[in-house]
Formats: sequence, C-alpha cells, structure tokens
Amino acid sequence: MMKKVGEAVPLLLLLFFMQHRGGTCYSLPGKPTQIKCRSPEKETFTCWWEPGSDGGLPTTYALYYRKENSEVVHECSDYRTGGKNSCFFNKNNTSIWVNYNITVVATNALGSTFSDPMDVDVVYIVEPYPPENVTVAVMGNKRWPFLRVSWEPPRMADTASGWITLIYELRVKLEGEHEWEVHRAGQQKMFNIFSLSGGTYFIQVRCRPDHGFWSEWTSTSTIEVPDFFNRETSVWILITIFIVFIFVVLIWLIFMNSHSLKHYILPPVPGPKIKGFENQLLKTGKCDETFSALVGSDYPPTSMSSYEDLLVEYLEVYVPSEQELMLEETKDMHDGCLKSESSASDSDSGRGSCDSHTLLMDKCGEAKEADLQTEQEGRQVEAEAQRHQAAWEALTYAHEDMVSPDMSGGRVKTWPSVFSPLPQYSSKPLNPLGSLETAKQHCLSDSQLPADCLSSYLDQPVDDVSQVLGSSYSKFCLSNKEPHLLHPAEARRHLQAHSDVNISVVGRKEAPASLKPPPPQPTEYVEVQQVKDEDIVLLHPVSSSHGKFYSNEGEDYSKVKGVDKDKVLLLQREVVEEDMCLCESQETNGATESCYATSIISAAQKPTACINPTLPVQALNGYVDSSTMFTLSTY
Amino acid sequence: MQVMTVFQQGVWALLLWPHLFTASTPLDCREEQGGLSRCPTISQEKLLDRVIHHAELIYRVSEESCSLFEDMFIPFPLRLQTNQASYTCITRALPIPSSKSEIQQISDRWLLHSVLMLVQSWIEPLVYLQTALNQYDQAPDMLLNKTKWVSDKLISLEQGVVVLIRKMLDEGTLTTTYTEQGLFQYDLQPDMLESIMRDYALLSCFKKDAHKMETFLKLLKCRQTDTYNCA
Repeated sequence: MMKKVGEAVPLLLLLFFMQHRGGTCYSLPGKPTQIKCRSPEKETFTCWWEPGSDGGLPTTYALYYRKENSEVVHECSDYRTGGKNSCFFNKNNTSIWVNYNITVVATNALGSTFSDPMDVDVVYIVEPYPPENVTVAVMGNKRWPFLRVSWEPPRMADTASGWITLIYELRVKLEGEHEWEVHRAGQQKMFNIFSLSGGTYFIQVRCRPDHGFWSEWTSTSTIEVPDFFNRETSVWILITIFIVFIFVVLIWLIFMNSHSLKHYILPPVPGPKIKGFENQLLKTGKCDETFSALVGSDYPPTSMSSYEDLLVEYLEVYVPSEQELMLEETKDMHDGCLKSESSASDSDSGRGSCDSHTLLMDKCGEAKEADLQTEQEGRQVEAEAQRHQAAWEALTYAHEDMVSPDMSGGRVKTWPSVFSPLPQYSSKPLNPLGSLETAKQHCLSDSQLPADCLSSYLDQPVDDVSQVLGSSYSKFCLSNKEPHLLHPAEARRHLQAHSDVNISVVGRKEAPASLKPPPPQPTEYVEVQQVKDEDIVLLHPVSSSHGKFYSNEGEDYSKVKGVDKDKVLLLQREVVEEDMCLCESQETNGATESCYATSIISAAQKPTACINPTLPVQALNGYVDSSTMFTLSTY
Repeated sequence: MQVMTVFQQGVWALLLWPHLFTASTPLDCREEQGGLSRCPTISQEKLLDRVIHHAELIYRVSEESCSLFEDMFIPFPLRLQTNQASYTCITRALPIPSSKSEIQQISDRWLLHSVLMLVQSWIEPLVYLQTALNQYDQAPDMLLNKTKWVSDKLISLEQGVVVLIRKMLDEGTLTTTYTEQGLFQYDLQPDMLESIMRDYALLSCFKKDAHKMETFLKLLKCRQTDTYNCA
C-alpha cells in the first residue's frame, strides 16, 4: 500500500513540475464532448464521443460506466466494434431495467480530463437500421394507376416477437420536383400511392420504434410511371364545360332581357316638364301663347246655365263606324303605346310634353283631377285657335274613368287622326265645371304629320253626367315610338279621315237630342279651310293670320239653330261686323243683317259650294266651333 | 486492504468530485423524447411496465413454440389439455398461489417473490430443453429460435424482477435464492415414455407458468393504481 502511495506521489509531483516548466506548452487534454449512444435493436448499444484537444501529448480515452443504484464502476470492454472513439456494450452488459451513467475520460501524460456524465436508458436510445427490400410496383388499370410500395423491417430488429414495435414512413418525389411528399405508414409494411402523373418517381422508406429515433432513409428506389390520361383531368374538363355552358345561357338570358332589366334596375327618370308649357312656343317667340298656357286663370263660367249654353254650342264629333275600326286598332295601339311608353325611356329632348312618352304615360295611367279640368277650361278661354302640338296630355282611350277629367275644357283638338266616339260615360260625378266629355285629344308625332296641325276645338256640350251624352271621345296618343302601329295607308286614311270631321250634334247617340245652343264661350275655332271630296273638310285653326282670306277680319259665327233630321245642322249665322256667308256665292259687304245660312251637307251630296273654307267663327252668343258640320251618317 | 480500497475510493472521489455537483439531476424525471433522459433512475412505473411487457412477450413466444411442437411431434390423442397434468410440472412444489382466492389474499411482496421464484426456477430447465431440441432430427428452425429466444429473455426478466423488488420493496438482491435448489430433476416424471413427451410436458408447463408470471405482474400493476378493483 505504501508502495502504491509512493508511486502515486512522484507522479503527481512530476505532473506539477511539468506544468510549471512552460516550455513546450503541453497541457491537459481537452474534455471529450458530445457523447452519443445508440442501440439498434434494444439488446446492445454503442456510445461515441468527440475528443477534445489532445494537449500535444498522446492521449488515451476510457469510458467508464456505472449502473443505476450501484456504486461499482465498470469500464467499457469493447472499444473496437463501434469504431473510433466508441464503446460497444454487448448483450450481457445491456440491461433495459437500469440506467447507465457514462463518463469518458481523456488521459495524457499530464493528467486526465473527465467529460460530463450522461445517463442512458437503453429503451429510449433505440435507433433501428433502415428497412430492407423496398419494392415498388405500378398497379391498377391503365386509366387509374397507383404505386404499391412494400418493404421489410431491418434484420436486426426483433419485431416478430414484439420486442420492438416499428412504425414506418416513406417519401415520394417526382423527378424534377424539389419537395418530397411524406406519408406515414404506421406499422404496416405496404403502402399505396395514388394521384400519379406520368414520369419517374423516387421513393425512400425509414422506420422508428415507438420510443426512439428515426432510422436512416433507405437508398432511393425509382419507378417509371407511363403517361396516361388522368381521369381526374377529364372530370375537371367536363365540369368546366358544363359551367361554361351555364354561363353562356345566363349571359344570353340577360342580354335578351336587357331592356326590362335596365328598367328594373334604373327606372327612367321623367324629364322635367311643366304641364302646359310648351318649349316650342317659346322658341317661336309667341310669348303670349306660352304663358297663357301657364296661367290658370279661373275663368270658367260660374253658373250652370252657362254650361248649358256651352252644351248647345258645342259640337260633338264622333267617329263613324268605319273609323271605329281604326279606333280599335288604335286601341291596341294605345295599349301598345302605353306599354311602349312605359318601356321606353324618354330623353325629353326638346319635345313637347305631348310627345314626351313618360308624360304621356303619366297621363295615361292616372285619373284626372278636377283642377286639371279647370285649368284646361281656363286655357280654353284664353287660348287661340292656333294650336300646335300643344302641351296636351294625350290620354289613352283605354281608361274610361279618365274620360271625364280629361276633357280639356271641352275643347277637342282634332289632329288629323282618328276621332272616335268615346265610350259611354259611367255615371261618375264630375265637377260642376261640367261633365265635359273629353274631346279627343291626340298627340301626334311631329315626324308623322304635317307641321301644321289642324285643330278644331269643339266645345262640348256640358251636360250632366247622368245624361251620358254618349258622344264618346277618344284620346289617342300616337306615340312617336310606335310608328309601325299605323299602317301607312291607314295613316293616310287617318289624315284623310280626320279631315272628315264628323261632328254630330251633342246627344246624337242618345235618344234625347238636346239641342240647346251651347253657351257662348270664348274658344278657339276651327274654320273650314278646304273642302275636299264629298265628305272631307279640312279644318284649320283660326287665326288672324288667316285673315287674308277674308275681306274683313271680322269673325263670323254661326249659331246652331237647330238640327234638321239626323244629319243636318242648321246654322244661324250672326254677323257682327260683317256678313260672311257660308255660301261662296254670297259676299256681303258689311251687311249687318243676319244671314241665315244653312249648310246642309249630306254625305251623298257634294259639299256645297256654300262652304266657305274659311269661316271664322266668333263667339257672340252662341257659336259654332267648327263652321262646317258634317254628318256622315253613312259611315 | 481496507485502507487501500478506501484510498482507491478516495482517489476516485477526489478526481471525480468536481463532476458530482454538475450532475445535478432532478428528482422527478421527465421522459424526453430525444431518448437521453436526465433521470438517474428509471421510475417504478416504467420499470413495472417494462417487466410486464417482457413477461407478455415470453408467454406469447412460449405459446407459439408449444403449439409448434404439438403440431410437429404430438399425435392428437396424446395432447394435454389445459387443466390436465399440471401436477407433473416441476414447479408444483413451489409455494405459489394457485387459485384465485389465494391470489387475492396474497400481499404485493409475496406476489413479487412468487414471480421471482418462478422465473428463477425455469432458467435451467429451459437450457436443458434447448439442448434437447437441438438433438431432434426434424425440429424446425423456428422452434429452436423461439426456444432460444425465450431462454434468453427469461434471464433478462429475472434481472428485471430483481430490480423491481429492490425498488418496490427496498430489499437486497436475491439473485440465486431458488435456482440452486435444483428443482428440476430428470426423473420427476417416470411415466414419460419418451423424451418427446417429456419435452412436451416441459413446454406446456413452462407455458402455464409464463402465463402465471404475467398474471401476477399485471395484478401487481393493477394494485398500484387501483387497490380495490383488482381481481
């Protein structure tokens, strides 16, 4: 014992002195680091370490381990099996029941350096060998192939008895890709890969125990998948075609209904219009007329009796049956007109409100109020005979209840269009201004008709509603937009026919033909401009400009004296200033005596020459709105 | 001599003392997935689980080898039934509980000792069996491998049970308590006509005992977690 101590002491002293020499800079060896222990099959294990600096002197390494709960330190018995700087523990030395406390010692001539100890539990350091015998095959039919990968566990791992349980993982890569596609296979030893495309595939497999490390990847297995038409692709192509088809159908539907869609989304904005205000009048410079339209002076006759006078004096115009046909068509036109008005948006560009379809629509669609009537009557009082396409609202014939309010003060503006008898009046109470039956009001487009519109104002007899005068008036609107509704031939006929002014006595349609001279009322008048054929009389509004036809400017009026039979109106003319005879032959020169002129015209007879084309009518007491009255009973 | 050993230990302690403080490990070990746990010891639960797993494997392999042997060498009329011929087993003399009521009354300590007794008593006979099977003409390799595997694992199981006893019962090692008693005797079954029958009996007995070991250990585990519901 003493000998050993004696040996140890000089060694220590030598070491001490060697350190202080400082000549060749020898030092203790560096500490071994990074001890890694691995067990391939949970029955043996190997530990490796990293040596530190050797300090310039030959260094030896030793591994010492201590089992758990035991103070006995053992030294590794096998430094060679695991390679350099390793220690191999064989089966007899490996126990899964205890921990190992391992220390590596580096020793050189100067001393020893100990590494940090490490605790090892064999179960947790299992890192198996890679799987073996990886086989890959292309399976499935030509249209839908898939890969089947199969392998075997590493030879050393005892999975048969259940000693080690391994789970597997494989990764696949198509040639040319950067990323591997990893699949977890669990404990099975076979795996199918779907969703392939043509090309070369690389496959690798690895495994690990439930507690432990992943093994290395196996060497790459390659497999060639032939090109095929992917069934997925064909399904997608079908779906795409179907969607495109649906899309095209939708677009077509939208396109077909673009108008109604536009109206639904962006309803047309009515243009700003003042009812009764006429831009054209402004342009022509006739301010009076323009503003007169605005001025709603209450000038209507205030007494009922005056209306009765009016009743008598006014003439009704009705449309013979032949033209009723046209009326029927125009009825359709009306509907169509209404529809078209509702559908077409109006730009309201410089047209009269009469031509403004939106305004027309408004009028067509709503019932008239009484104020409008009063306004119209007032207008009627003021207005001149000369009327262009004034700011009349055209009223649709289709609405019967509008018939009464639509009367423009009893004024009928007869455009060269069809007059048609208005339907029987429903017993609708009207304002005291009168149940004036609406005259036909027509709105004709500029383009269709000649510039100057004949307007004849027929003062309508004001009757009680109950009487149901029966003369019906129709209102048409020939919209600008519906030219096609009028046949050209019919248009001509219209022109022609409307020059045939059928004026019937008020109440002609009814049994009682109440004939009273209509109350005098200042209105505009129509004078017969020309007598065409047998039945045609062209009327035109009376104005001072037309005075040239006369020798004097006076206005003549004819009073309806009576009705002779059905077709004859007896006119009594009262000449205020001048005598104007209906007869052409007659020329009066300032004769003040009244001249009775009766113009009896029958359809069969030729229009008498008595008909003076220009017959201004002046309202005196009673007057005839249109100097020519026709009865076309044969129609 | 004692002084020398003390001196040696002292030298080692002197050299190793700086590292005694560095190896500071927590008392409660957390299992790390990386495998390098910092625990100085394996916990008791883990140990018990491993032992049970070990015993399960041994039983399964012994069962497989027994059936292999049966199919190979034993004609059908001579096959032993499960409850038959248990009295011929070599371990019948061991003070091991054999009925359910006995097992319920036994303590944990005695359970563990019973397991240890079983394990230790079978180590040698299995070695004998291994040599006997090697002498057969037509013994398949699988059978031989299995029996070899079983004998190896049994030794490992013994070590594990010893460690478990030490951990659970704080007792010293009892490594060679029973194996030296020589339970195994050749002439214990004089009525065995052939060695084949003897070997077959050996395998069957071992299969039963392996099942017993597994059952005891599982019962022990059950008692660790839930004391009152274990059967």
